[in-house]
Amino acid sequence: MRSFLRLLSAERLKLAKSRFRWLLPASPLLAAVVGLLSNPPAGAPPRVEFAVVLSGMSFLHAMLLLPILTGILASVVCRYEHAGGGWKLLLSMPVTRPQLYAAKYALIALHLAAVQALFGALAAAVFYVRGFEGPLPWDMLLQSAAGGWIASLPLAALQLGVSLAWSSFAAPLAVNVVFTLPNILIVNSADVGPYYPWAQPLLAMVPRDGETFGALGLPLESLTVTVLGSFIVFLAGGLLYFQRKDI
Amino acid sequence: MSEWIIQTKDLCKSYRGRLAVDHVNLNIARGEIYGFLGPNGAGKTTTIRMLLGLIKPTRGSVEIFGKSLKREKLHILRKIGSLVEYPSYYGHLTAVENLEAIRRILDVPKTRIAQVLETVGLTKDAKRPVKGFSLGMKQRLGIAAALLGEPEMLILDEPTNGLDPSGILEIRELIKAMPKQHGITVLVSSHLLSEVEQMASTVGIIRQGRMVFQDTIESLRRQSEGSISVAVSEPEEALLALLRMGFRGKLENGRIALERTDDQSVARIVKALVEQNHAVYRVEEKRKSLEELFLQIVGEGGGA
Ligand SMILES: Nc1ncnc2c1ncn2[C@@H]1O[C@H](COP(=O)(O)OP(=O)(O)O)[C@@H](O)[C@H]1O
Ligand SMILES: [Mg+2]
Repeated sequence: MRSFLRLLSAERLKLAKSRFRWLLPASPLLAAVVGLLSNPPAGAPPRVEFAVVLSGMSFLHAMLLLPILTGILASVVCRYEHAGGGWKLLLSMPVTRPQLYAAKYALIALHLAAVQALFGALAAAVFYVRGFEGPLPWDMLLQSAAGGWIASLPLAALQLGVSLAWSSFAAPLAVNVVFTLPNILIVNSADVGPYYPWAQPLLAMVPRDGETFGALGLPLESLTVTVLGSFIVFLAGGLLYFQRKDI
Repeated sequence: MSEWIIQTKDLCKSYRGRLAVDHVNLNIARGEIYGFLGPNGAGKTTTIRMLLGLIKPTRGSVEIFGKSLKREKLHILRKIGSLVEYPSYYGHLTAVENLEAIRRILDVPKTRIAQVLETVGLTKDAKRPVKGFSLGMKQRLGIAAALLGEPEMLILDEPTNGLDPSGILEIRELIKAMPKQHGITVLVSSHLLSEVEQMASTVGIIRQGRMVFQDTIESLRRQSEGSISVAVSEPEEALLALLRMGFRGKLENGRIALERTDDQSVARIVKALVEQNHAVYRVEEKRKSLEELFLQIVGEGGGA
């Protein structure tokens, strides 16, 4: 555990000096603009009205930008090793491969959590700025932000595996985009949507008491199975690959 | 108990059915500088990657500090500093930040950073991003990184490759000081004998994956000692006579070339030739340079 924390702190240092950090707030900020400009149906109860606004905010963010950002983060945490021969440097030090894998994965997960926290905070700001009546629907916000985070974790595992395997920066991103773009169609399908890992962030982020169409508003149980299942498969696959890789 | 710091037994690595490293038995003693020599593609880097656990051997075993690398890898790696093939670095970080990233993993005091920068002479460039460094500076930063954890053993894979003569000299002086000043055992690989000749106490020569020589540098020097070349009037007959007397030699460009021979034997050879009425024109000692011997060793058996 101590060596894992030491590795994590070394990884943080490398990323702290990276200019990719500036990409992180882009998507939540864009979502906030959407939230400020959207027109919820008049006459509905405030909670439902806000749910519609939050759905609108989630769409672009969770359907495309969050999955893509997950891929970018995975590429970034491997980039400096690929570029400067860092794998043999790191792995000829007294660290195990699972420890290094875990440190890189944790770094991606922590940055995604920060993005989702910012999303939640900006959604709350939208709630106040637009003057919705009643108390802030904490539960709805928390479920959306945390749900999106958890649903992006399997994608992070897959992308980390792909980024470890490919020394190119762009190739893993291309893979990621290829799987993310079909979301536009798949979220409309109640048959495929629940089982498509890339669609899960959106399905998790759209409030349950908002609109329901296609795969949106499905019971949480089916999403949980998909997220957990793909998480285990992707994480185990990536780790097994890394464990055997020649450095 | 063996005194070897590194000992490999029949170490093999095959790629697509071809042995890149073929039953290599390395023996490296404490406190020495071991020169690991071989032409490009001989298997030096592949061997070193196996010593560091970066790749798994196809066959054979590695023992370092008397312990099995397979079983006590982390414990062993904690006491080894290494530089494999080309220096590893984070270009967007400064030299200090590069070392700090490594320091956090090795958990050594912060003061080590200034110490190792001083050792490799990078103190005044410490705050510059490494992407602007010359190859020689990156190489020295790599050595600084290898020294950071106060290792007992340093493994340097072609640390002078691509450097200019003054850079080569600097690195060589640095390596030479390691056993004396810090008690560190060094394994340094090179494809040029001349680069390690002046610092190594023992050399291992690898060719096409096989160890073809492993002994002290003095023993290598002794092997390079001269052959005797004799020019006579009838070389064929003269050689036949000498062979009949039990000497070993052959004809080379119309001269008799005799293997390493002491003074008494030379005297007997000349006497015998004169007695059999051969005119002896010249008796010369031909000294092979160490480099020639090295080239002969790595060239034997044809191929690369
Ligand atoms: N990953 C690999 N896949 C296939 N062949 C390899 C691989 N790595 C090294 N080799 C082969 O192994 C041999 C030894 O290479 P190497 O150890 O790099 O030599 P050296 O370091 O002595 O120049 C070469 O013929 C090389 O082509
Ligand atoms: Mg090499």
